[in-house]
Amino acid sequence: MASEDVYKPGTTLWMTGLSGAGKTTIANLLAEKLIRRGEKVEILDGDVVRTNLSKGLGYSKEDRETNLMRIGFVCRLLSRNGAFAIAAAISPYDYIRKNLRKDDENFIEVYVNAPIEKCIERDVKGLYKKALAGEIKQFTGIDDPYEAPEDAEIEVHTDKETPEESVSFVIRRLEELGKIETIKSDEGYSSEEQAFIQKRLEALGYL
Amino acid sequence: MAGRILVIGLDCAPPELMFDKFVDEMPNFKKLMSEGVYGELESVIPPITVPAWMCMMTSKTPGQLGYYGFRNRKDHSYDALYFATSTSVKEPLLWEILNRQGWKTIMVGVPQTYPPRQVNGIQVSSFLTPSLENQYTYPPEIKEEIAELVGEYMVDVPNFRTDDKAYLLKQIYEMTEKRFKVIRSFMDKKEWRFFMFVEMGTDRIHHGIWKYFDKTHRAFIEDEELNPAMLEYYKYIDKEIGTLLERVDEDDTVMVVSDHGAKKMDGGICFNEWLIKEGYLTVKEYPSEPTRLTFDMIDWSKTKAWGDGGYYGRLFINVEGREPSGIVKQSEYEDLRNELQEKIAAITDPDGVNINSVAHKPEELYPVVNGVAPDLIVIFGDLYWRSVGIIGSGKIHTFENDTGPDDANHAMNGMFLIRHPGVEGGRKVEGAKLLDITPTLLKLHGIEIPSDMVGKPII
Repeated sequence: MASEDVYKPGTTLWMTGLSGAGKTTIANLLAEKLIRRGEKVEILDGDVVRTNLSKGLGYSKEDRETNLMRIGFVCRLLSRNGAFAIAAAISPYDYIRKNLRKDDENFIEVYVNAPIEKCIERDVKGLYKKALAGEIKQFTGIDDPYEAPEDAEIEVHTDKETPEESVSFVIRRLEELGKIETIKSDEGYSSEEQAFIQKRLEALGYL
Repeated sequence: MAGRILVIGLDCAPPELMFDKFVDEMPNFKKLMSEGVYGELESVIPPITVPAWMCMMTSKTPGQLGYYGFRNRKDHSYDALYFATSTSVKEPLLWEILNRQGWKTIMVGVPQTYPPRQVNGIQVSSFLTPSLENQYTYPPEIKEEIAELVGEYMVDVPNFRTDDKAYLLKQIYEMTEKRFKVIRSFMDKKEWRFFMFVEMGTDRIHHGIWKYFDKTHRAFIEDEELNPAMLEYYKYIDKEIGTLLERVDEDDTVMVVSDHGAKKMDGGICFNEWLIKEGYLTVKEYPSEPTRLTFDMIDWSKTKAWGDGGYYGRLFINVEGREPSGIVKQSEYEDLRNELQEKIAAITDPDGVNINSVAHKPEELYPVVNGVAPDLIVIFGDLYWRSVGIIGSGKIHTFENDTGPDDANHAMNGMFLIRHPGVEGGRKVEGAKLLDITPTLLKLHGIEIPSDMVGKPII
């Protein structure tokens, strides 16, 4: 860790992806790991924010933009004071995410990628069912577009990875990007895998 | 797209076979030699897959990278060891530099790329991948594409330690065939400007059947089928290389490169057995049969040094105030290292002939020594001998290593060949070093060479 008297900026970790892609799951798991590493972490979950910070806002393009700009504003305040601010919001429009990035020098974008079919299949909140039945309008991925980021610093594929694998990948990327300190023991192996690799390397004559 | 780079990595490919013994049977490579610049390539010490490939791709020494082999000490406690994976690589890699220039890059099977990092392109990890269950590609969906293409992809040869050499060869061929199939598919269907792969089959076949190939090997065996098997495999590799050359243009750069060479193995030095006999290492109870030395067997209160096995030896000193139960005073450390260097240099074969061993002090090899380096890095018998960690045989010399037969060791010099538009071919160049590879490729493509790279462009 940086010593107390050295200023260390924090990070805005902006998770974008379809509803049901796994943003909240990954944000929570990631927060746990970062806290264990001694980071100060806040999660700004899109769904939660709508019950307080953005209470009363709807899902029109304008309201969505307002909501995201508010989340971005809070993230900026937190990250410039050394915290990890994890935003988990669909944030479907590319230009809004670009604006958020422009205003925040600590901005890192995480694309939580899962195909729409997978999200519909998961449908944890039952929202896709309603949207497909026409009960909810302007639902991202159904009758409102999701513009996938092209230059996200980090991309995880939650349809192909377990949440733990995705989070390990995010952690490694944050290490590479110099946002968190690298832990030397983090070889990327479980203890069983480590034992297996040791056997393989012994058999190959390397050890 | 004009000006692409194809790097064909052949782990352990020795210059003697590539440029001389086998060249007439390798028409594609022979043609490349007439069109390219080539020569021996001095590896790093230690000349081992890890760290050598990452040294090549960063143009940094093992000391700068901070790891000295596959397994390293995390700190100065006795049992805190870790494997150097992609997470240990902190210096920028060639393809990362190219990614920053907007190049799309594809890497297949380059050692020490597991777990795979995010790249602008595709990364397929190498044999440090525990199993195909693991996420061994970036992006992840590539794993499925590979499975559709070749079924069960092979990151390495399973059951390498087998006496059934026909089975071993079958495995090696299957692994190589699958890899080249994937490579061809990616070359055809994916966008790339830099493509690099490393084939491990060349290394595995050397260690597996060198004694059937090299008549001067102490254990050479006449065998109609196995004697020509090495040449046959190189001929096959050449054919595969030919299929890739059809896929590049004249204005692309083509490189063939290995991380170190190969030579016959005369035997192993039981390093810890030697340390016991010389009075530097004490075990609580001497085992009645050959046993791999583990930390709990050592009486640390009477131990000055211990060693580790592998293609080269690592020696660690039990220093007071540094190791948990250290007994060697800081003031005696240097004298002890000097004494060990002399004694190691005096080691002989069973007939009393000096085998020419060298123990290097890491700070004399590398400008910077990061991480926890061995106190001495030991090359036994000019690499005709390897280091063996077991004790219990009562003998210093062994002709079996810890885990079964092994026919070959690594040699200091690997090989390189580079064909680049406008560069006059058919020339042999002397004095090239492994750390020169990345600066050479950067220079040829007009990209600034970072000032902290150790190597210099070969051409």
